Amino acid sequence: MDAQDPDEALILRVAAGDAAAVRALTARKLPRMLALAQRMLGETPEAEDVAQEAMIRAWRQAPKWRPGAAKFDTWLHRVGLNLCYDRLRRKREIAMDSPPDRADEGPAPDRGLEAADVGRRVAQAMQALPDRQREAVALCHYQDLTNIEAAAVMGVSIEALESLLSRGRRALRVALADMVAS
Amino acid sequence: MTPERFETLAEAHGGAVARWPVAEREAAAAFMTAQPELARQMLGRAEALDALLDSWRPAVVSHALMESVIAQAPRAPVRAAVAWIWRGALGTGLAAACAAGLMMGVALSGATTTTAEATEPVSAAMTSYEGLTDTGGAFTTSALEGQA
Repeated sequence: MDAQDPDEALILRVAAGDAAAVRALTARKLPRMLALAQRMLGETPEAEDVAQEAMIRAWRQAPKWRPGAAKFDTWLHRVGLNLCYDRLRRKREIAMDSPPDRADEGPAPDRGLEAADVGRRVAQAMQALPDRQREAVALCHYQDLTNIEAAAVMGVSIEALESLLSRGRRALRVALADMVAS
Repeated sequence: MTPERFETLAEAHGGAVARWPVAEREAAAAFMTAQPELARQMLGRAEALDALLDSWRPAVVSHALMESVIAQAPRAPVRAAVAWIWRGALGTGLAAACAAGLMMGVALSGATTTTAEATEPVSAAMTSYEGLTDTGGAFTTSALEGQA
């Protein structure tokens, strides 16, 4: 088992209805859930819905939370990812009926890349990754989970996670080749 | 650690060895000491991709979203209990006020009856007093006359 869960005390206070703990846990976890949803779904209103729903499930789970069973952050990431996959499935079903317009491939060649343009290109490259590779990069690079935590969230071995990460990052390097230094 | 393994780890986990799996860090540090130039090249490549990925910053949480999430959190049982007690106290207070009003009404009606009944002896007393005054006046006069 990992070291002491840093969220444990807070989630127990949330279960007791402590308003200050609710605020503290929201401030700590909601931005993380929103970021995760944005990495998986893109910067869409759906990402906000997913982040909110994940937090509501946390509120429901709080009274039933058993300390020591799992890290709260890991559990919350699993919940968030499940919600993301629900949305992705729905999106694909809709896309099969009516293919969406092609996204902007990037800035026009006659203007330089600004920070926002770079961010957009990265977002697009992330969205183009296969789901599991995108998930691995989102959890390890962006959400800063350890390989053990990320593998647990994804339900894969550490070796499988490493393979997903390598393939994902390699694909990103190719997609962003014109911007990667060296 | 072999150069291939070091490169695989850099490709998978990025250019910051501190973010690599804990179990691999010690061997990685030894490799960096043994082959600093090769290690620097491999890490540099990975760092360049890291920097690019970091340029995508997620949108910040809006105030509305934050408050909506907070509003749906469980309420404190203590607060609920206080509300229950307060409601109870309010109910008891109202009931007590009603009861007090009722008792007051009963008491007042009793007092009215008593007053009505009490007027009879008073009138009787007044009548006898009036009689006394009349006779007393005569008595007083005659008494004074007698003294004179």
